[in-house]
Amino acid sequence: MDEKYPIIKPVGEDSILVEYEAEVSPEINLKARQLAFGLEQGSFPGLKEVISTYRAVMVYFEPFRADVDTVQGFIKQVNANLVEIELPAPRLFRIPTAYGGTHGPDLNRVAEHTGLAPDEVIRFFSAQAYLVYFLGFICGLAYMGGVPEALDVPRLSSPRASVPGGSVGFSGPQANILPVDSPSGFNYIGRTFVTMYDPHEFPPTLIRPGDYIQCQAVSDQEARLAGERHLGEFIESFQGN
Amino acid sequence: MDQRSFVIGNLLLRNPDNATALETTLQGLKLQALARVTICITGADLDPWLNDQPAHQWTTFTMKEHDILHFKKRKKGLRAYVAVQGGFDVPEVLGSRSTFVRGRIGSILRGGGSLRICTFDSEVPENILTLPQEYRPDFNRIDPIRLLMGPQEDYFTPRGIATLLNSTYRISPQSDRQACRTDGPTIEIAKGPGIISDPIPLGGVQVPGDGKPIILLRDAQVTGGYAKIATLARVDMDRLGQMIPGDEIRFRRISRETAIDLLMEEERRFEEVRGLLKAKAHISCLRVREERIT
Repeated sequence: MDEKYPIIKPVGEDSILVEYEAEVSPEINLKARQLAFGLEQGSFPGLKEVISTYRAVMVYFEPFRADVDTVQGFIKQVNANLVEIELPAPRLFRIPTAYGGTHGPDLNRVAEHTGLAPDEVIRFFSAQAYLVYFLGFICGLAYMGGVPEALDVPRLSSPRASVPGGSVGFSGPQANILPVDSPSGFNYIGRTFVTMYDPHEFPPTLIRPGDYIQCQAVSDQEARLAGERHLGEFIESFQGN
Repeated sequence: MDQRSFVIGNLLLRNPDNATALETTLQGLKLQALARVTICITGADLDPWLNDQPAHQWTTFTMKEHDILHFKKRKKGLRAYVAVQGGFDVPEVLGSRSTFVRGRIGSILRGGGSLRICTFDSEVPENILTLPQEYRPDFNRIDPIRLLMGPQEDYFTPRGIATLLNSTYRISPQSDRQACRTDGPTIEIAKGPGIISDPIPLGGVQVPGDGKPIILLRDAQVTGGYAKIATLARVDMDRLGQMIPGDEIRFRRISRETAIDLLMEEERRFEEVRGLLKAKAHISCLRVREERIT
């Protein structure tokens, strides 16, 4: 274990950033998720929000209700018992996805780049359940990782101005399903019609960091029918990849 | 984007601090009263007119049925707030009545649409309240915007940090509610500019590959992959929210302790305004009663 980590640094007047080792891996991410969960469970007066990412956790607090030293002390205390923090069991979201055609504008580009047939690209990509490292960017976008190396394709040289919500794409080891129409430079090969984000529900997305998502290949018709069902209907218990 | 001006409008109307108000940018908004309503305009001076007369700002006044309020021309600042007694009646989403278009929360007012107003305590007298001049924001300020360094200032060379702190930047036309982009000298990057995506604080100053600082505002994304050289002092967020493309901006670093002191001072002034308006409202109430008696 590297003694240097975690690095704890105040940011602005009302937040503290905690950084674990600088790498994207399930092991380091687990520490960030455990710390975030431990802080939320323990809580303290003036705590506003905890956000975990790949390897970092940001703790937001009310600057007049909590002082930075007390919050740092609390973070250190939770971090000292990190291994004992038990996270909720991961769940698998198996999301019906239509691949190729108008739903996957980058499928052929990915096939050319990898030397695989378009069908193989779809098979490789959809066979895997991807770990949700964290939710971020906007509207609870799930940052997924673990895309097979055979599908290692860089981002587009110039991002698209708008990609439709529900689009399924990846770049390098990272993958995502866009919750709403967004600009993006990822390679989009499919689309789901299941609503991933609904601001009129609480929480607006059911997905939690630590869950897994598999973008199961189905026909266009099946994908559209699945769009009439609630995201919660696609939850299974995660049995491992 | 300018929370202080927004809240003061509500205080003057004796609404709850966060009653729903309209934010309008630049010029052109035209509103017609479909019933008698007491309102207050705060924030930027966008040259508001009530029918054929200049309308008061930072002062409550009544619009009669059919009266038209028109913002004709931007004079100072960027965003004005129209608060109404009772607040606008829009649906609450995730505990808020704010609008965030990209997140499909709330909506932008379209021409021809109408807005309802929440019912309010009609016992509140319609006396006029004005915010004294000394408490109004000064949109002519040119002193530097204050920064707290970090969280990733080590991604920049000492020369790059000196560039940020000693140069004049200009707010770019590509700015919006999500981010304030700037044009100016390039900040030298030591490593990166990419980091492993991490949380973005409000007011985070990220520097992408072109070396031009981008300040993240109230509609910013919550995570991102560019190193953040600094974070805006909270007291200067509202000020930045009133600056327009082309405005010049300079930065000065302050310590965390100074930033907290400034925030406390700001809070104290705000409490002063609150006390002042409460006292004024009280006096006016008495006067109304006396008039009724005599």
